[in-house]
Amino acid sequence: MLPIVVIAESVGSKLTPSTLEICHVASMIADSLDQDWLILINDAAKNEAGFIAPRVISYALADGECHAPDMHASIAAEIVASSQLVMMAATSTGKDVLGRVAQLLSVSLVQDCTGFEMDGDRLLLKREMLGGKVLANVKINSCPQLVSFRPRSFPTTSPLRQVPVIESYTGKSFDLRTSVDLRKTTRSTRPDVTEASIVVSGGRGLQGPENWYLLENFLDVLGPDATLACSRPVSDEGWRPHHEHVGQTGRTIAPDVYIAVGISGATQHIAGIAGSKYILAINKDPDAPIFRIADYGIVGDLFEVVPALTNAIRGK
Amino acid sequence: MNIAVCVKQTPDTESKPILSPDHRQISDEGIVWIINPHDESAIEVAIGLRDQLGGLVTLISVGPNQVESALRQGLAMGADEAIQLHCSEMPIDQKMTAEVLAEKIRSLGCELVLTGEVAIDGCGSQVPQRLGVLLDCPCVTGVEELSIDSGQFTARQPVEQGDKIHAGSLPSVIGINRRIMEPRYPSFKGIMKAKRKAIHKEEVLLNSADLLIESLMLTPKKSGGKVVEYQEGTAEEVVKYLQTHTTVF
Ligand SMILES: Cc1cc2nc3c(=O)[nH]c(=O)nc-3n(C[C@H](O)[C@H](O)[C@H](O)COP(=O)(O)OP(=O)(O)OC[C@H]3O[C@@H](n4cnc5c(N)ncnc54)[C@H](O)[C@@H]3O)c2cc1C
Repeated sequence: MLPIVVIAESVGSKLTPSTLEICHVASMIADSLDQDWLILINDAAKNEAGFIAPRVISYALADGECHAPDMHASIAAEIVASSQLVMMAATSTGKDVLGRVAQLLSVSLVQDCTGFEMDGDRLLLKREMLGGKVLANVKINSCPQLVSFRPRSFPTTSPLRQVPVIESYTGKSFDLRTSVDLRKTTRSTRPDVTEASIVVSGGRGLQGPENWYLLENFLDVLGPDATLACSRPVSDEGWRPHHEHVGQTGRTIAPDVYIAVGISGATQHIAGIAGSKYILAINKDPDAPIFRIADYGIVGDLFEVVPALTNAIRGK
Repeated sequence: MNIAVCVKQTPDTESKPILSPDHRQISDEGIVWIINPHDESAIEVAIGLRDQLGGLVTLISVGPNQVESALRQGLAMGADEAIQLHCSEMPIDQKMTAEVLAEKIRSLGCELVLTGEVAIDGCGSQVPQRLGVLLDCPCVTGVEELSIDSGQFTARQPVEQGDKIHAGSLPSVIGINRRIMEPRYPSFKGIMKAKRKAIHKEEVLLNSADLLIESLMLTPKKSGGKVVEYQEGTAEEVVKYLQTHTTVF
């Protein structure tokens, strides 16, 4: 029997930061229940996984690194069928794969949880509903319990000094039903919006893509853990790429600090950022709804405020 | 090409939720109901494909009486048929939703099944994937671009590292993201026509849920948020404040 399994995501030979968070959760739960846990991972990253988990099962995907979600899920479902708890990061890939695993095993699944408590061997899962307006505690009665956790909800785990224990999956193989081609977008060296600890987000108040240099300069003084996001109209207009768009129809994020610049704070926008630990808002309209959820609001012209903040941080 | 579109009725984004006395349900009181925004775009995509390739667009919604208005709206947009899988309460476990949807879809025999990627109320993010498994056909979710050509589909799904371009053959299940296209407003003619259409109502029995809501609470309002008028020295003050109130400065 496999008690607790983390289905890992990797880029090249590295586990993704959000997977390392799930590993942290798994080792915590394994400790509290005095059980074993393991990582299920693509061959390319098995060595790093060997230094993270007490046990690793690796598998080769016919399409190499470009995971076809149905094949990924089929292999995972074969392996985790008799386990007690299966977890993944609630990334686009994580949610996609876990949804399939859930139906292959015919069990319930709770996606995008932000925390949990133990209730015997069951998890009492915390999650948001209605765009962050309601907080729910939910429990799964079927087995295995399938859960995805929102990135940045937990600390990451660090490598152990140990001799890796790595097994290869030798079970059934699965045919590819679809062809999947991953077109990597060239991105800045900055972290993904879901992974950054500080997110500076620009709205229509910036007036056009040519003014994003203001936010770029600001990021430069905030350091390597800061990244850019935007509101939906900004990405719809093509001022910024879609992957930076946060909200109901975009990404859901939970940074330590969210800085909203020239964003009105529409409900659909808030739905994607409500989990931020601290919100700083800059808007010239004192009645802008963003101020209702901001921890700190500056009423002023962003073209004046952002350079002043940049200078103040540079000089701190 | 016959297309089934799975439609969920959700509370409007602006609705202020009120909890039931036992704090296990969100009360219907004061809720304005809408079509889940992603599903609304799925209807739009379906209508476009039908106009191009022929066939019928059939809407299917699981839920209590009130979901009829969502179906009516979808018909007014231009869908051909609507089926209500009636149950006394909206299922909370998407496994149940997917199972009853799959059973109905199987009996319809369509080439394409569209759903929204996620419903904005419960954010379950799993119905399209489950339908793919249940109907034993390819499934792509989070789709922002879709093309169909002689029984083949190509779909673009943005993921963390870039875009996944999936290609495969029909029948298939596609989970649509709102960004694919904005839905039309029903025309007056569409609304009048929809009024005359029948909604096929069928009772469904849901299996007992393995997913339990133990408790709900309204997200506490942030109190003590500070709002200041920008002036000389504000920037320095804010930086000091961030240094004492957050861990990353
Ligand atoms: C179904 C649906 C889904 C949606 N999904 C999303 C989503 O996922 N994400 C999202 O963001 N939106 C979403 N929206 C759109 C949302 O309703 C808002 O329209 C949008 O968030 C507004 O973007 P904004 O704040 O950038 O622009 P605006 O609302 O135009 O606000 C611009 C703000 O900038 C301020 N401003 C202007 N100039 C200055 C200046 N010089 N200095 C300081 N402040 C200035 C203004 O006071 C104003 O508050 C969705 C809408 C629908 C209908």
